[in-house]
Amino acid sequence: MKHRRSVEQHANEDAVSTAAPLVELVMRDQAPLLARRFFGDGPPSPITASLAQVPELLEVALPFIGAALGPGALDARAKELAILRTSALLECRYCVQTHTAVALDCGLSAEEVRVLRGELELDAAFTAERERTMLAWIDAVAAGRGTVDPGLQSRAAEALADHELVELTLTVTATLMLNRYCTALDLPVSAATLARLTEEGF
Amino acid sequence: MSAAADAIASGALNGRVWFYSNYHCNLQCSYCLTESGPRVLRRELPGEVILDRAAEAEALGFTAFGVTGGEPFIRDDMPALVAELGRRRPTVVLSNATLLNERRLRELEPVADLPVHVQISLDHPDPVANDEMRGPENFRKVMEAIPKLVERGIGVRIATTLEDPDAVDPEQRERLCELHRSMGIPDEDHVVRPIVNRGRAATNDLGLLAGFEQLEPELTVTVDGAFYSPFGPTVRGGRLDSDLLVSRATAPLQRPVDALLRIADQLPDGHDASIGIR
Repeated sequence: MKHRRSVEQHANEDAVSTAAPLVELVMRDQAPLLARRFFGDGPPSPITASLAQVPELLEVALPFIGAALGPGALDARAKELAILRTSALLECRYCVQTHTAVALDCGLSAEEVRVLRGELELDAAFTAERERTMLAWIDAVAAGRGTVDPGLQSRAAEALADHELVELTLTVTATLMLNRYCTALDLPVSAATLARLTEEGF
Repeated sequence: MSAAADAIASGALNGRVWFYSNYHCNLQCSYCLTESGPRVLRRELPGEVILDRAAEAEALGFTAFGVTGGEPFIRDDMPALVAELGRRRPTVVLSNATLLNERRLRELEPVADLPVHVQISLDHPDPVANDEMRGPENFRKVMEAIPKLVERGIGVRIATTLEDPDAVDPEQRERLCELHRSMGIPDEDHVVRPIVNRGRAATNDLGLLAGFEQLEPELTVTVDGAFYSPFGPTVRGGRLDSDLLVSRATAPLQRPVDALLRIADQLPDGHDASIGIR
């Protein structure tokens, strides 16, 4: 499978990558005034630290990302299905590695995570019809190039309430935006996340 | 009345808008906030941008303008820009006065009838001590430039920047004041201010640490965005400080103004905004 090889290759490259970030990551001592509330006590995430270059965008983008990717009408597990699967399809090294850890934290099994990352076939882990429909929808939105197949539209409309379908679709599309952002800027994955992934066998 | 005008009237926001016209300079002072010098990138704020933002600021209720750098008069278009700003609002332009040759002075003559002041840096009544911080021949050039401005009727202010203004020898201070009075500059046009520990001053371990709580909110427009104070867009190790950045966008001016007002609202009660660049 071409996709599987590609994701694995990206992960391996990251593990040995020591390149400096493409853009300066703004640390707490240089955080612009309106960005400071988004900086906690620890080191900021690379997304926060890079967006801080443009504080007026950070102010609207981070709350949006938090709302779009965090739990809503769909629970955290469903959200991570969408985020990790989309990121794997878009081959976003940063998002795949970061959300592998998040997905494990949300209770997904290692096998489920490997399926979402494109390393195992779908049937190996997901059998519930609702989740299979969600995954088909995620694949169609993230990897498709036009309208979603009418048959899948009908299945999705049957399996999900309107507001769930809206939220799932927005989660996928917001993730697409972040995938492109993180990949283009070559954002680095934290050492803690990399260590965690190694420990978990990823 | 705009929110900005309300804030200016209440004292929550300074009425002056600052423009960083450029970052290059013929001098390389040891306490320069922006690490300016002859070899740094110019990073000029285009003249039309300065005038467009000034027009917006006027409409929003700002009451004065300031121009700083770098050395503003290194730019050929600066005399005309300062005159245009001065026709709109009282304007102060900060200068080292060492580039005010006969041509520049002639170009500046139109501002004599306008509420424009050229604020000139002069740190010490003795040439040797003054030039130690500001570079060779600075004292002599300043002493030559001030009378030429005064005799043309152009407003002049003197700015003295000191490591610790409270610790200055009273006799030294009096000699400095006698010097500016002798050139027709009254005491009310002499400002004494501390070195701020940013930019090259921080590299050289000089000056007073100042966070945003110690600074007055004064909208400052640069080629890199809008800042909280003219002490904001400082440069250290060749890197622009972003801790006092308000927004990258400066147009329409309402955007950084709104952001600055939100920041000003967060200032703790009783904050000490006593450090002024003027």
